[in-house]
Amino acid sequence: MIAKPNNTPAIIEMNNVGIRYGQGPEILSDIKLSLSKGSFHFLTGKSGAGKTSLLSMMYLAQKPSRGTMSVFGSNINFTNRDNLAMLRRKIGVVFQDFRLLEHLSAFDNVALPLRVCGMDEREVRQRVTELLSWVELDQHMMDMTSTLSGGEKQRIAIARAVINRPELLLADEPTGNVDNDIAPKLMKLFVELNKLGTTVVIATHSEKLITDFKYPILHLQNRALHIRYPSDISSLSRTGGKYA
Amino acid sequence: MPNRKAKYVYTPRKQEIPLQSNNTSLFTQVIIAIAVFIFAVTLSGVLSINSMIQTWNQSILGSLTVQIMPVNDADREKAQAETLAYQERAIDYLKNVKGIAKISVLPDSQLQKLIEPWLGDGVDISSLPIPRIIDIKLEPGAKINFVQLAQDLAKASPQASVDNHKLWLNKLIDFADGLKALAMTILFLVITITSGAIFYTTQTSMGMYKDIIEILHTMGAKDAYVAQQYAKRMAFFGLIGGLIGLFLAIPTIFFIASLAQQIKGGIISEAHLSFGDWLLITSLPFEACIISGITAYYTVKKTLQKML
Ligand SMILES: Nc1ncnc2c1ncn2[C@@H]1O[C@H](COP(=O)(O)OP(=O)(O)OP(=O)(O)O)[C@@H](O)[C@H]1O
Ligand SMILES: [Mg+2]
Repeated sequence: MIAKPNNTPAIIEMNNVGIRYGQGPEILSDIKLSLSKGSFHFLTGKSGAGKTSLLSMMYLAQKPSRGTMSVFGSNINFTNRDNLAMLRRKIGVVFQDFRLLEHLSAFDNVALPLRVCGMDEREVRQRVTELLSWVELDQHMMDMTSTLSGGEKQRIAIARAVINRPELLLADEPTGNVDNDIAPKLMKLFVELNKLGTTVVIATHSEKLITDFKYPILHLQNRALHIRYPSDISSLSRTGGKYA
Repeated sequence: MPNRKAKYVYTPRKQEIPLQSNNTSLFTQVIIAIAVFIFAVTLSGVLSINSMIQTWNQSILGSLTVQIMPVNDADREKAQAETLAYQERAIDYLKNVKGIAKISVLPDSQLQKLIEPWLGDGVDISSLPIPRIIDIKLEPGAKINFVQLAQDLAKASPQASVDNHKLWLNKLIDFADGLKALAMTILFLVITITSGAIFYTTQTSMGMYKDIIEILHTMGAKDAYVAQQYAKRMAFFGLIGGLIGLFLAIPTIFFIASLAQQIKGGIISEAHLSFGDWLLITSLPFEACIISGITAYYTVKKTLQKML
């Protein structure tokens, strides 16, 4: 275990992490990052900068091609498959492309993380119906996911990510497809979860989100990760987003 | 304002990996049906052969008769002495054969009794060229190759011969054993090929549903969770395919049996399937079910190791 100077345990710790696809060039290099418990970050960067790639390492779908990474204190290089699954259960993910099971109903999609852990069906039903009405989808609960609109799918994806009350929530463009009036409501959900102790990382292109919510920013540029804090943000927009 | 009341309608839980809705599932069931059909028919053959071998063995076991053909010579005394000498040589040989409990030469009085019905009373058998008979008691459970014994005996004592019926049965048993070994090879091949087919269809299906499996993984599903879904499905296909195969196999078995009945001579009629045999044959769909399930389970486990 690496001793933490500030005594709050890191949820995710990356050291000299690099990632590449196949034999291609490194998409991200020498990433050094420590997410403390209960923190809230935005993740920004141009399209293709590697936001999704960085998140996919965090939700353990991708192993770093070099460097070391630990999640909830477990070095993932020394964690067996079943234990990796146990770590994933503590992580909620909203995918950029939703990744819902199109042949299942909205209900079954949201129920998935609970059923995977073997939760009792009665409790599954109670929790899922409650959350689906909260995201205003109770009318579509039993509808096949493939018949729903983009914004509705996004809300299902978010509901699925938070149903398990995850310790870490990773969201890739979670408000990209929803109406302006529901976007703040979803952001409020993330903020509420964060207040309850969930560590949150949200990848976004939205300037409005970044300025409305004054959270620190993980910015990806030229394969590197830079961290900016809210006080710097005004200076960031003044320099047109260019800083190193 | 629309009705905001939650509408939960109970529907049977849908498969997360939609394994029933693709054509590999039909392929799997057809393969298993064919496999169980071949297996059931072949197995009924093996079991019938077993029952025949058992019947034949019973008639072989226990005892054995060796005949010493009398030497023909004008000089009767000399001929008799020579016959006796051959008899001694046969007995000497037989004494060294493993599995023989007791050797007794049929005494003249008994020989006479056997011959009486044909030649009438008061015949002096010592004056006739009559075969000498050696009665042999075998040890219980003795495994004796009668064909080999007959050959060796003939070498030791050219006038001696083992009775024909036993020899013939022994050859039949050897043939049946060979047939049985062939059938067992077929059974083994059927199991191997079917497991292989299940292995490849499972892998193909996993490739097809890679996205869904990745999502399940991200939700925290263990390998066993995915493996169980495949195992359940494949076990179900195994059961259905197995029942169809069995359903077709039973009339086929009866048809073959009726053909065999037409061969007169009583060899085949010694073949019959016992209640236990039928139990074994009709249980094949369940075995197909178990084998399919287990094969699918371990295929998934093994294949998932290659994904993150
Ligand atoms: N599976 C993959 N195989 C090969 N290359 C990939 C793969 N996924 C991403 N890349 C490449 O990695 C780079 C970073 O992609 P990534 O999806 O992480 O960017 P992003 O910041 O999420 O972009 P966006 O804002 O458009 O979603 C891109 O150049 C992309 O082409
Ligand atoms: Mg992306």
